[in-house]
Amino acid sequence: MNTLRYYFGTAFKSIWMEKWINLLTILSICIGLSILCSFLLITFNIDSFMKRWTGNFGLVVYLDDNITYEETLNLETQFNKDRDILRVDYTSNVEAMDEIRISLGENAVIMDDFKENPLPSIFELQLVGELLNQKAARQKAESIKNISGVSDVQYGEKWLASLNTISDTMKMVAVFFATAIFISTIFTTYNTIKIFFYRRKEEIITLKLLGATNGFARLPFLIEGLFVGMVGGTLSSALVFTFSSLTSTRIVEFMPSLSVVLSPLPVQVYLIIPVIGASMSLLGSLIAVGKIRY
Amino acid sequence: MIKLSKVEKTYEDAVVLKNCSMVMDRGEFAFITGPSGAGKSTLLKLLYCSEQVDNGHISVDEWILNKLKKRTVPYFRRNIGVVFQDFKLLFNKSVFENVALTLRIHRMGAKEIMERVKSILKEVKLLHKSDIFPQYLSGGEQQRVVIARAMVSQPMLLLADEPTGNLDSDNARTIMRLFREINTKGTTVLIATHNEDLYYGSGRRVFFLNNNRIDKEIVG
Ligand SMILES: Nc1ncnc2c1ncn2[C@@H]1O[C@H](COP(=O)(O)OP(=O)(O)OP(=O)(O)O)[C@@H](O)[C@H]1O
Ligand SMILES: [Mg+2]
Repeated sequence: MNTLRYYFGTAFKSIWMEKWINLLTILSICIGLSILCSFLLITFNIDSFMKRWTGNFGLVVYLDDNITYEETLNLETQFNKDRDILRVDYTSNVEAMDEIRISLGENAVIMDDFKENPLPSIFELQLVGELLNQKAARQKAESIKNISGVSDVQYGEKWLASLNTISDTMKMVAVFFATAIFISTIFTTYNTIKIFFYRRKEEIITLKLLGATNGFARLPFLIEGLFVGMVGGTLSSALVFTFSSLTSTRIVEFMPSLSVVLSPLPVQVYLIIPVIGASMSLLGSLIAVGKIRY
Repeated sequence: MIKLSKVEKTYEDAVVLKNCSMVMDRGEFAFITGPSGAGKSTLLKLLYCSEQVDNGHISVDEWILNKLKKRTVPYFRRNIGVVFQDFKLLFNKSVFENVALTLRIHRMGAKEIMERVKSILKEVKLLHKSDIFPQYLSGGEQQRVVIARAMVSQPMLLLADEPTGNLDSDNARTIMRLFREINTKGTTVLIATHNEDLYYGSGRRVFFLNNNRIDKEIVG
């Protein structure tokens, strides 16, 4: 108990004595983590925006020309039962023709040249969110194509592909970013603690001559590193939280329609950031004090 | 208590100790003397494991120092009080904290630390300077802090390297009385010094370190 007080006493005394270096360290950790947080916020928002947007995306199922009414009804019930399909819309070839005529207006006469209706009847299927990637959508399309009465299935292949590329790239950049910032946090604390360690080399030698274990001599440094990282992380959480809630209210004031689209980061992220800061800093300090032996 | 047998110690290429042997009994009070640079401090450093022997046997109590594992060195050192020739005081800690440090390393409780440190500081006549930082003390006062720090844990062995180097004869006498007192309580005491006044007429054994070894032994 008393020893614990000694560790913390020594650590906090050093934090105070070296307040400028410590402040600088806290600030750089805070800036690093804040950049990471902001990036997460942006990625998160783009991702949820795309989810909403692609919600309207679906497959177009073209039916055989000579399909009977019963067969069409069968297909509809089959699609309605399918758990992968969210919504089913049927447009018959007659309806399609009428739509074209309406859209052509006066020029609709050109359609009279067709003896038979050249348009197929179609089902428009809206897929559930999990299937909104290229591979799953293609598989679904293939399986529907094999059903009798279906002549062709189309899905926005290129479109889905590019969406996936965007989201994959963003995820990769996020991972890269996070790694870079973790490493820089480790390195920042490592540097600071190593400077302290060298500055207090004489003190550590003396402690050891008096019979202190390595742990006794090192623990105050670890506490110091942990504290610095935690404060840096907490500060950046607070900063990003304030910033994001301020800006989102501002944006919504200007464009109320965006209020559905802007989503705040989950609360857990704000709680995890200080933990990340603390553990990365602890790791940095561990490396710093572990390398030096007397 | 202390046993050196054919100890060899070389720094880079300067031979300091060679074929050096000595034995000291438990509870003994002895001196070691010799010209400057003879290796008195080195011999003490070997005894508190700050330096390693190159060859030979060296032991303190049950601890065989030439075979001691690095991990156990701290636990061994807690049995020994050292008055360093160069003091090794911590200048960012008060006199009280400097002395208390030994006991904190022993993981002693706050109350006992308080009592012990106060009592030893009173003995070396520095109680009124408890809260002062070492840089504001005179050389002699600093030396007394070091002596207090070495004695506060009542070690089984006290090694003092030139403990009266900065003291007037009055203070030197007080310190020597303290050493005798702690010796009667069971601590073995070994003092390295040039100061003949310390050992002449003491009736204690005096080891002479010369030509890299203990080459003479007298009773002072
Ligand atoms: N760390 C070291 N590296 C190299 N040489 C050293 C080291 N420490 C001591 N020496 C050398 O070893 C010799 C013995 O030094 P030591 O300090 O043991 O002498 P001493 O008898 O204590 O002298 P003094 O009476 O002046 O304190 C000296 O010649 C010194 O230069
Ligand atoms: Mg010396």
